[in-house]
Amino acid sequence: MDLALQIIASGLLTGGIYALLAVGLTLIFGVLRVVNFAHGEFMMLGMYGAFWMWALWDIDPYLSVFAVVPAIFGLGLLTDRLIIKRTIGAPEVTVVFATLGLSILLQNAALTVFSADTRSVTTGYTGTALSFGEVRVSIPMLISFVVAIGLALALWAFLSRTRFGKAIQATAQNRDAAALMGINVQRVYMMTYAIAVAGAGAMGAIAAPVFSVYPRVGLSFVITAFVIVVLGGLGSVLGAVIAALLVGLVQSVVGFLVGAAWAEIAYFVLFIAVLVLRPQGLFGRRGAEVYQGA
Amino acid sequence: MLTVSEVTVDFVGLRAVDQVSFSVGHEQIVGLIGPNGAGKTTLFNVVSGMIRPTGGAVALEDEDIGHLGPADRSRRGIGRTFQIVKPFGNLTVRDNVVVAALTQGHSVPQARRVADEQLERLGLASGADTLARGLPLASRKRLELARALATDARLLLLDEMMGGLTPTEVNDALALVRELNEEGMTFLIIEHNMKAIMQLADRIVVLNQGAKLAEGSPQEIAHHPEVVAAYLGEPVEDASDSEDADGAA
Amino acid sequence: MADQTGAGPAVAEETTAAAAARRWGPMRVVAALAIIAVLLVFPYLLPSGFWVDMAVQVLIWGALASAWNLSAGYAGGLSLGHAAFLGVGAYTSTLLFLELDISPWLGMFAGAGVAGLLGLVLGAITLRLRGPFFVLATLAFGFVVHILAVNLRDLTRGAAGLVIPFDGGWENMLFASLEAYWYVGLGLVAVVVGITLWLERSRFGYYLTAIRENEDAARSVGVKVVRWKIVAAALSAALTAVAGTVYAQFVQYIDPDSTTEFELSVQIALIAIVGGMGTAFGPLLGAVVIIPLGEVLRAELGGGPSLMVYGALLVTIVLAAPRGALPWLQQLVRAARRRREVSA
Repeated sequence: MDLALQIIASGLLTGGIYALLAVGLTLIFGVLRVVNFAHGEFMMLGMYGAFWMWALWDIDPYLSVFAVVPAIFGLGLLTDRLIIKRTIGAPEVTVVFATLGLSILLQNAALTVFSADTRSVTTGYTGTALSFGEVRVSIPMLISFVVAIGLALALWAFLSRTRFGKAIQATAQNRDAAALMGINVQRVYMMTYAIAVAGAGAMGAIAAPVFSVYPRVGLSFVITAFVIVVLGGLGSVLGAVIAALLVGLVQSVVGFLVGAAWAEIAYFVLFIAVLVLRPQGLFGRRGAEVYQGA
Repeated sequence: MLTVSEVTVDFVGLRAVDQVSFSVGHEQIVGLIGPNGAGKTTLFNVVSGMIRPTGGAVALEDEDIGHLGPADRSRRGIGRTFQIVKPFGNLTVRDNVVVAALTQGHSVPQARRVADEQLERLGLASGADTLARGLPLASRKRLELARALATDARLLLLDEMMGGLTPTEVNDALALVRELNEEGMTFLIIEHNMKAIMQLADRIVVLNQGAKLAEGSPQEIAHHPEVVAAYLGEPVEDASDSEDADGAA
Repeated sequence: MADQTGAGPAVAEETTAAAAARRWGPMRVVAALAIIAVLLVFPYLLPSGFWVDMAVQVLIWGALASAWNLSAGYAGGLSLGHAAFLGVGAYTSTLLFLELDISPWLGMFAGAGVAGLLGLVLGAITLRLRGPFFVLATLAFGFVVHILAVNLRDLTRGAAGLVIPFDGGWENMLFASLEAYWYVGLGLVAVVVGITLWLERSRFGYYLTAIRENEDAARSVGVKVVRWKIVAAALSAALTAVAGTVYAQFVQYIDPDSTTEFELSVQIALIAIVGGMGTAFGPLLGAVVIIPLGEVLRAELGGGPSLMVYGALLVTIVLAAPRGALPWLQQLVRAARRRREVSA
């Protein structure tokens, strides 16, 4: 029983951290209709940012978020300007492979600059845990979970409560109608992309105390995030948060029962099944998945 | 030739087509009109096999074709054009038509000859080797017609073929439909250009909010009180007494 | 695809060679023969084994990209899981060779069969998916096969991989000389590009390009979209597996990372895109450019920077010339010819 609780707890915690990555990915898809293959690399850069600030200046990774987020946000603006903007309305091959190329570029830039070494942040709270009865919860994991979920929900609140958030949503629903209503669609795209990748950067920074960083770390995370985003319904922010928790849980439970590799196969198969049978996602409404190819 | 009986289409939370029945006789021209969102294109999609109806049946020459997909229906002689034209943009104009001819069992060289004949007839021969995406709208619409003709269609579904055309182009299109009709082609036509369809059709079916509102000769439809009411209370232009170019509802 | 000379009624009755001579003219036939002659002696013109090795790699990657191109370039299914079929081909023939002593020449067909079947199933499953959804589904499929290759240890020996013991001879597709692999690779490319050329002129090719351009319109003129898409997916998968077998025999050692990893799927696509998707010779041109470039960059700059260049190249090409290098080159040639005609 306690073991079961332990497995569930660690699954939910991991899932929560994934939520922040998935929320940005789903936002970019929902608004720009672009699958951002480079999303994991922005997370990886956030992790390196946190690592180096800790290694060089002894700054706590959770504090480094305040430096990482603006930096990645700026990088996001630049990326939109140079690459993403030019893919809107372009042939499908451009939409898919431009961000994939960017992912390869950033991954190997990190490899070149930081080498392939695996690096970890060690702080005063590394390895510490809280006990709830027999269930032990890692403190850094818990903090990261709370911050990630908090940021994901803050993003959701921003989208549904603020004026600019509503402009983003209007653009997601209908590009042309939004433009007619006087919304600057180009600006919405640019801000959406930058906000979303800044979220990935933030996730990287707060994941630094929990996960090791290496140049290819983004790939494994982003693949899981794709699964989450599709399960949650492409474009649905709240769906992504729920699906993230679910995937974390499935990974943890199935991983315990039959081993991590089979858990991965299980969720990839689930992923394909959802894509084919329920493209609007497990919780999504119909219509969100409609893809207008160029 | 074509019998549509009690066809109903439900989308999630919305009845797009509601128990519509009508038939199209051999060598007839039947117009399908109605305001935007009346279910006209949905009905076309049912007839051409693009979507399955929730209920009802479609028969071609008294044979139920409900189980057939769009490709098989094309092979049975149902051709169509699209409201928003769908050329094979990166193929040449000729190859667009060659594809259609190939489905009739022609070899590639034979299909080329069939394609060239159709392009010649529709006045597209001079640009046969250019890419289809570069054609102006009127030519792209003709290309869709050429494609449908190359499949040896006997029943043509035209979805707003006049939309976006200049008055001269509309007249050319009208003449073309008449000419094909005289050669034995049957037509079911969705049209917003009231004047054009009133001139052309033998019979008109009016859809409103998914249901059939009226059916009859152009004269009857023009003076049908409910049709008149559905079109914002304005009398529908009658072909015989109005020369206004634009009759779009 | 358009035949500028216009196909007269006599075409069907002419012999292939006569038709070729009429269409291409004697100069072109001579040029084609010269190219074939050069290709046959090519490895002996190269300065060292390093270059022969690279030339063989160009052929194998060219064949892989060409096979990918059959479904991606002609039917529009941008797959990011093709390494799975490469892996299936490599593992099937290798396991048959190691366990049952079946020649790779036969194992190649077995691999093609298994991969073709998988491609057929995947094609059927992903039939209705468009754009990024199709890409993501193929990507997930690639990951599943990779994870299986690592974890089905009883079958694949997992990450340890499989060594093909050297027992030279034609019957085992194992050779001491690199030059021999050149001819195997040349045969492989001839088959895949030959199929592509045939496809361009055939009913099948017309249908596929129509499906790529607009599925609904293709259906409306009577093209059985489901059938042809699945056939294209299966054919592409089977040919990828054949190249996988040749690859395995060439390197004589396979493991999950060198045969089924995601990056390989990306590389296959990259080569075809750079060279020109939807053209018969584009993927081959892509391999001619990308493989030596990759080797040189790796030697000069190291692994990281060379892959950075790959990434930048991919971004630049898809943004600036999404149709790839070959159509761009053809345009240049046409423009130059026009200038010459004007000045003449």
